[in-house]
Amino acid sequence: MVRNRRALLAVVAAALVAVVATGSSGATAQSHRGGTLKLLANAAGGTLDPQVNYTLQYWQLYQATYDGLLAFQKAGGAAAFNVVPDLASSYTIKNGGKSWVFTLRKGIKFSNGRPVTVNDVVASFRRIFKVKSPTAGGFYSGIVGATACLKTPATCTLKGGVSGDAKTNTVTINLTAPDAEFKFKLAVPHASILPASAPSSDAGTKPIPGTGAYYFASYDPNKELVMKRNPYFHQWSQAAQPDGYPDQITQSFGLTVEAQVTAIENGQADWGYDFPPADRLNELGTKYAAQTHLTPLTAFWYAPMNVNIPPFNNLKARQAVNYAIDRNALIKIFGGSKLATPSCQVLPPGFPGYKPYCPYTKNPGSTWSAPDVAKAKQLVAQSGEKGAKVVVISANDEVQKAVGVYLASVLNEIGFKATAKAISGNIAFTYPQNTKNHVQINVQQWYQDYPAASDFLHILFGCESFHPGSDSSINMAGFCDKAINAQMHQALKMEVTSFPKANALWSKIDREVTDQAPMATMFTPKHLDFVSKRVGNFVFSKQFYWLVDQSWVQ
Amino acid sequence: MLRFVLRRFVSMIFVLFSISVLSFLIFFATPGVDPAARIAGRNADQRTLAAVRHDFGLDRPLPIRYALMMKKLFITRDLTSYVNRGAKVIPQVTQAAPVTLSLVFGAAVIWVVVSIAMGMLAGVFRGTWIDTAVMIVGLIGISMPVFWLGEVVNLITQSRLHGSVFSWVPPLGYIPFSQSPWGWFKSLLFPWLTLSILYIGIYARVLRSAIVEAQEEDYVRTARAKGLTERRVLFRHALRTSLVGFVSLFGLDFGALVGGGALLTEVVFGLHGVGKLTFDSLQNLDLPVILATVIYAAFFVVAANAVVDLVYAWLDPRVRRA
Amino acid sequence: MSDLIVEEVPAQAGGDLALVAASPWRLARRRLLRNRVAMAMAGLLAVIVVLCLLAPVYAHDVAHTDPFSSNLDGTTIVNGKSVPVMESSTQGLGLGVTPIGPTWDLHHYFLGADGQGRDVAARLLYGGRNSLLIGTSAALITCILAVLIGVVAGFFGGLVDGVLSRLLDVVWAFPVYLLAISLSTVLISRGFSLGPLHLTSGSLLLPITIIGLVYIPYVARPIRGEVLSLRRREFVEAAIGLGASNWRLLWSEILPNVVTTAIVLFPLMLAIDMLTEAALSFLSIGVQEPKASWGTIILDGQDVLYTRPAVALAPGIAIALTVLALNVLGDGIRDALDPRAKLRRTD
Repeated sequence: MVRNRRALLAVVAAALVAVVATGSSGATAQSHRGGTLKLLANAAGGTLDPQVNYTLQYWQLYQATYDGLLAFQKAGGAAAFNVVPDLASSYTIKNGGKSWVFTLRKGIKFSNGRPVTVNDVVASFRRIFKVKSPTAGGFYSGIVGATACLKTPATCTLKGGVSGDAKTNTVTINLTAPDAEFKFKLAVPHASILPASAPSSDAGTKPIPGTGAYYFASYDPNKELVMKRNPYFHQWSQAAQPDGYPDQITQSFGLTVEAQVTAIENGQADWGYDFPPADRLNELGTKYAAQTHLTPLTAFWYAPMNVNIPPFNNLKARQAVNYAIDRNALIKIFGGSKLATPSCQVLPPGFPGYKPYCPYTKNPGSTWSAPDVAKAKQLVAQSGEKGAKVVVISANDEVQKAVGVYLASVLNEIGFKATAKAISGNIAFTYPQNTKNHVQINVQQWYQDYPAASDFLHILFGCESFHPGSDSSINMAGFCDKAINAQMHQALKMEVTSFPKANALWSKIDREVTDQAPMATMFTPKHLDFVSKRVGNFVFSKQFYWLVDQSWVQ
Repeated sequence: MLRFVLRRFVSMIFVLFSISVLSFLIFFATPGVDPAARIAGRNADQRTLAAVRHDFGLDRPLPIRYALMMKKLFITRDLTSYVNRGAKVIPQVTQAAPVTLSLVFGAAVIWVVVSIAMGMLAGVFRGTWIDTAVMIVGLIGISMPVFWLGEVVNLITQSRLHGSVFSWVPPLGYIPFSQSPWGWFKSLLFPWLTLSILYIGIYARVLRSAIVEAQEEDYVRTARAKGLTERRVLFRHALRTSLVGFVSLFGLDFGALVGGGALLTEVVFGLHGVGKLTFDSLQNLDLPVILATVIYAAFFVVAANAVVDLVYAWLDPRVRRA
Repeated sequence: MSDLIVEEVPAQAGGDLALVAASPWRLARRRLLRNRVAMAMAGLLAVIVVLCLLAPVYAHDVAHTDPFSSNLDGTTIVNGKSVPVMESSTQGLGLGVTPIGPTWDLHHYFLGADGQGRDVAARLLYGGRNSLLIGTSAALITCILAVLIGVVAGFFGGLVDGVLSRLLDVVWAFPVYLLAISLSTVLISRGFSLGPLHLTSGSLLLPITIIGLVYIPYVARPIRGEVLSLRRREFVEAAIGLGASNWRLLWSEILPNVVTTAIVLFPLMLAIDMLTEAALSFLSIGVQEPKASWGTIILDGQDVLYTRPAVALAPGIAIALTVLALNVLGDGIRDALDPRAKLRRTD
């Protein structure tokens, strides 16, 4: 396993594995141990409750503080998509994929000194529903008894769904139907195992004890979040929960992005959560190239087009937008060709089911080369929607606003009458979802939850994700194609027996959705991490981004 | 007098109440405000959405929600944000207040001192080129958008001359006084100057015209006739009476600024004060924070108005009847 | 500015009504024309307005550019050579894209490009049109409504005055920017529909209405005070004694005085409105893209402040000059019309 992993890992990560696995160079690792890693963020990420919070900002930190029964491997590159046993030492799937039996590891303690028991596991699954976790209905509704829990969370028992046996130290989870993606769902922070004594409502700013190498010592959303070494932690699995280097990790809030970059340049802080401002990028790429890390993400920037109201209820109008968008121009807004790659389809490169496909370009084929404005104009003319009024909605941050303005400009060029409207970033995600707001086209991005094609295709373009009149209707295009949706269900079923077969079907679905153009895909972004000079051993997990605790500061 | 004070107090409460209701109503007139989906999280299930809506009382009638919110804000003091789930609102305001106070207080010191100097200079040298020059400088200060001036200051101190003359200027943001008094001063010096420039212009003009007018008054002429020196007349009589208008204007402006009127300066200099908090909450449609900050802001404006009125009433009994 | 103080008498004494109605205006005009500083500023203002009105001519015939469409992949000519409008960094990791800076060539990106590759000089002129339009319209709304409210409240008194005054109190206590922001957030994201009147979210009427409304108390309060004191004045009391009707009183005695005040306040309100418009647009709740105003251009410039400061500097200078001119002109008009007036300057 180790050898296999090494082949996949980036050089840095391999070095780390070697260091810890062999133990021969323990002295080097030991000498890097200690110090305080100082992270910055413009604002706090909200509640600290790992079963409620749904922000990348804290999911990144939960990696070192909480564990689920399973975990994504803490490693660089694509290895981060592997699911490994974490608090469970092993698991077996029975009953045709409907029963999952986990054997708990012994001797693991929470940061409050209490041992982890099967009771804690059962309570944690109930808690997902009691605290009304955002994914309670999305990820965990397949557990037997979940329907009742979703209806009346306060009395949730998951009877017949999750049960523990203290004698054999096992936990059994029963599903209503086989779900091949369930292992991913158990490895995200919402399925963290917390003490049974954790409050049965959102814990807010009060930290809950966890099992990771660190624990949250204090949290003040207006000031700072402090992580310290968990005194009860011992490393049980290098892959699932490795020990970390710094003694303390802090994330301070309140500095503007501009000031964050300056502070890191001056060595006053080690890393900033927010994306650096456009006019500092050149400086980072030249003067601080050694401290700047670029990593492709499994994500995409796209513009959902509402297929139920004019003008984009017309396929030709939607395709015209796809033909007209100059992806290279958009990438310039994003910071240049080194920070993103053009794309026309839903699935991002390197993702299960990804096969390059781009019909909307000068020379249709697998990759995008140049916009075809003549064709776009022709399609608009054919659609009969020429002169239609369009409002492009975007969030009001620098980049997204500029993307919205650019889209409006393109729409005007091909014959629509478009204006751009920037709204608060906090409502820019929910506002376009509600059909009552009549949003025609808007600027969105989607970052994967877990590495499965359904996380893009089924969630964003499946009939089940479209709820007219609700603010939670993530299928913003309102796209519901019966034939395509049936194929999605077929692919989900196929995953139980064979992921490769299912992924071939997902590729086909990807192409079909792209042809129907419920969205205009713009590009696949890269992630930029700018760290201070003293930060060593930068490991980037595709799943949860930079593994902060795996870097050293001395 | 007591009746007057009482009446002012009642009208103050009325204004504060109206403002809280108004903010509440404006909020619900805004589209996309239902916080349930934001609280519930990305791609939440419809059933979870309904449960969250019920939890936060979002399914109750508006008057009840208003009453509940006021109770949480003033009585139990545990009102929590809609956006930063679990974050209490009152600590946010109390943490932002010192930033704004530091900013406004320092700026006020600068603008009062400088504008008195300029106003007197212009008043004394009335009609000469000094008067014209001082007044035009003041007018230029009034005419520049404060956020633009702040950007220019940033351009110079954070970028263009940061390598040389201004290398001591800390990055944008606030450094608490308790953490480092010197750092506090350095981080606020340019925001102070920027904010005060507008007011220097206004106050210098007000003071100048008041001095000019006072010099025409009978008692000053009498004082002059009695053989007092020009300087004595200016300081003892003209200036003192001119200051009444000056002080009342100051009261109003100070109140408005402490209440969040320094928003643009705070935004440009990255200071997380009350104005910035209010602006952010409006942008985030975070009703609990909007209500808290707007009531806080209105309180200062109304209180400053009331204090100024009381001072006037105390000085001029006719006002009490008006 | 100051040597006029002793001269004025008739408006205050109010003896001969016919004379008051006729002569002060001529007198005022003569005084204003004699004020050289004010006249110079009026000239400057005229130049700015004309330049802004010529925006389409400049964009179309001189710069040959469309300032409302993005030009991220375009090229332009500097010193006879073709260069990209948006230049990608080629050094180091090759991060970042910088818009072209000022070329000081009136035909090719005179003031450089903004983050969308659009010609800043052309946008500046178009933006000026919007800023001036919004400022003027808002100031008109403020003055007209304030006169209406002030006169009604002051003249009728009693319950009407009570209600209107409380209303003004509430608006007054709402810090101006906060009120403007609340209203903008509401209206900008939905638009507004009332009978046949339909404002879409991008309409300029929205910022005009918002700015016009928030400043009403600042003008209405002094006007109400003036009406109150006019009513108590002897000449009005005398007119009532002679059996003059309410309407005649309002028309012949009170309105002329009040209108003078409103005219004096107008340029100052215009100055304040232009600053407010800029502030709202800067906070991205005023004029909406792709339309421009001086405030939105400053906002665009903020993104490239350190690399291309001209984008933000130019509109700021334009605002400062315009507002300065308005302030000086306003002072001149005030001195000319009513040299003894002490008007509270609002911020």
